[in-house]
Amino acid sequence: MTARHGNPYYLLGFCYSVPMSVTFPSEAFFQALAAAMAGAHDRFRNLGFFDATIGIRVLLDDGAERLFVLGFEVFECMLAKEVPSFAPFHVDFVLEGSALVWRGMFENVRHNGGADVAHSINTLTHFGEQLTLRYDDPDGHDKLYRFAESVQQFFNLAATLDAVTYEAGSRHAAPAA
Amino acid sequence: MSYLSTKDFLEDKDFLDRWQYTLRTGELDLSWMRAATKQVECTPQNARRGLTFRDLDVPGYGYSTMAEVARENRGFAPRGAEIPAGCPDLQAEVNRKSEVWAYNVESYYEEAMSRQWNATTDVPWADLMKTELPDEIARAYSQLLTFLTEVEMIATDVPAKWMGRLNADFFEVKNFIATQVMDEARHAEVFRKRALTTGYGLMKASPQNEVNLKFLRDADSFSESSTTLHLQAEGMVLTMFRFSEYISPTDGDKKLFRLVMQDEARHVGYGMQHLKWVLDHFPEKREIIHKHLDEAENFVFGGAYAVEVMEPFIILSGKGMKKEQIEQGCKITAAFQVKQVEEYFERLDKCGLPERKERSQLYKALELGQAQLAAMGLRTH
Repeated sequence: MTARHGNPYYLLGFCYSVPMSVTFPSEAFFQALAAAMAGAHDRFRNLGFFDATIGIRVLLDDGAERLFVLGFEVFECMLAKEVPSFAPFHVDFVLEGSALVWRGMFENVRHNGGADVAHSINTLTHFGEQLTLRYDDPDGHDKLYRFAESVQQFFNLAATLDAVTYEAGSRHAAPAA
Repeated sequence: MSYLSTKDFLEDKDFLDRWQYTLRTGELDLSWMRAATKQVECTPQNARRGLTFRDLDVPGYGYSTMAEVARENRGFAPRGAEIPAGCPDLQAEVNRKSEVWAYNVESYYEEAMSRQWNATTDVPWADLMKTELPDEIARAYSQLLTFLTEVEMIATDVPAKWMGRLNADFFEVKNFIATQVMDEARHAEVFRKRALTTGYGLMKASPQNEVNLKFLRDADSFSESSTTLHLQAEGMVLTMFRFSEYISPTDGDKKLFRLVMQDEARHVGYGMQHLKWVLDHFPEKREIIHKHLDEAENFVFGGAYAVEVMEPFIILSGKGMKKEQIEQGCKITAAFQVKQVEEYFERLDKCGLPERKERSQLYKALELGQAQLAAMGLRTH
């Protein structure tokens, strides 16, 4: 079997290309994580079915916001898209935070090769001090915990990206560990 | 031995003759080949997921068309098989679908099977052993782990107790419960292993919590048991696991709590979908569930706020026992306790039990807790 056939994105008739450098926040950044997830298929298969639709809200310094939807099905990220509104996507929950907090999390992930004790998604969201977890349905909310390790491993894939720049400030992050 | 065969087969001449005749002549009976069952075609709807229980939900075998009361199957006949005369009545105690079923139970089972993990190999034990914790943190952590081991042992026993009592037609529920038994056994294993690797071993059992756990074990019906085990107790333990991840001293401990919280959240999901199903299909149960929760909430209030549970949290979240650390730990623990109870009522609301707040003593305790948080200048989101 060729690498092409082993990639679920080809099986589904689409593929996210992985640019050398991606900027956060952007659709390209989350698509690069989705592609990295496809490349780590065995790791995610070992973690088990991951069926959730997650909204990401990045609050910018000027009061604007950027919204992204991540759609996970079986062992893959099937959707990584910037959207004007979450409404049509029926997201299970939304992870919301300032660009600065998101940036801090991804820089930490890249520096350590994964989130350290202060930067796991559960820790950042637990009391809503840094990232806020928003949801309409407690069942959707609980999906963050049903798939906790898969969600964490997905964000940890930021450590595998070649280079990440940040829109606010645009400085280069520390190289991946 | 309390159950004996109605015959001694080695003394039964007809039986022996038939057995030997068949092997001697090759003359087969073949009546089983004409079983009055349906031939069906089941294929995976999503090849990447594999063949799931949902793919088997076809006429003659599926759960969607299952009758509310399982009158025909009194033994271990797999649902859809022909049940010939002579199959015994094994007296399953729960024979109403509305007493056990849950929306999407089949997908909770598939998720459980695919997300199993191994406490021996999936936790970075070697890394954990390298980390030496400060004395008071290690003691508090060992006490928390002792309590969690205690809780998980009863969480293993309760679903195991019900498994054999459910009618065999409720196959998907029985299988889901089997995964829960395995999950909870693994939780007891991982907490025991972690306690014994802190260097401090196990600490003290919790009398108040053991009384609460006995109440959980001895519920009169499956629905009462599920509401208090899956939804109330595991819902609160889920918030506790998330809090434990939040205060965990090492990356390895964080991973451990993320793994256990996944299983716990799945059990809570089943509990919510079961309560919704009960309220939709067996509305007479509503008052019984309220009565059961009246007592369950009293137990849980006494258990969760017992010193051997609350104090380790204060020390762990304050990161030590200096005065200012204890003060900080009290604030964080107070916020956690309020969050825990708020999420419990949120889930009950979603399940169709919004009136619970009106009659619940625990809700009054929550209002006190919320007022206390406000007085401390804190508020959960």
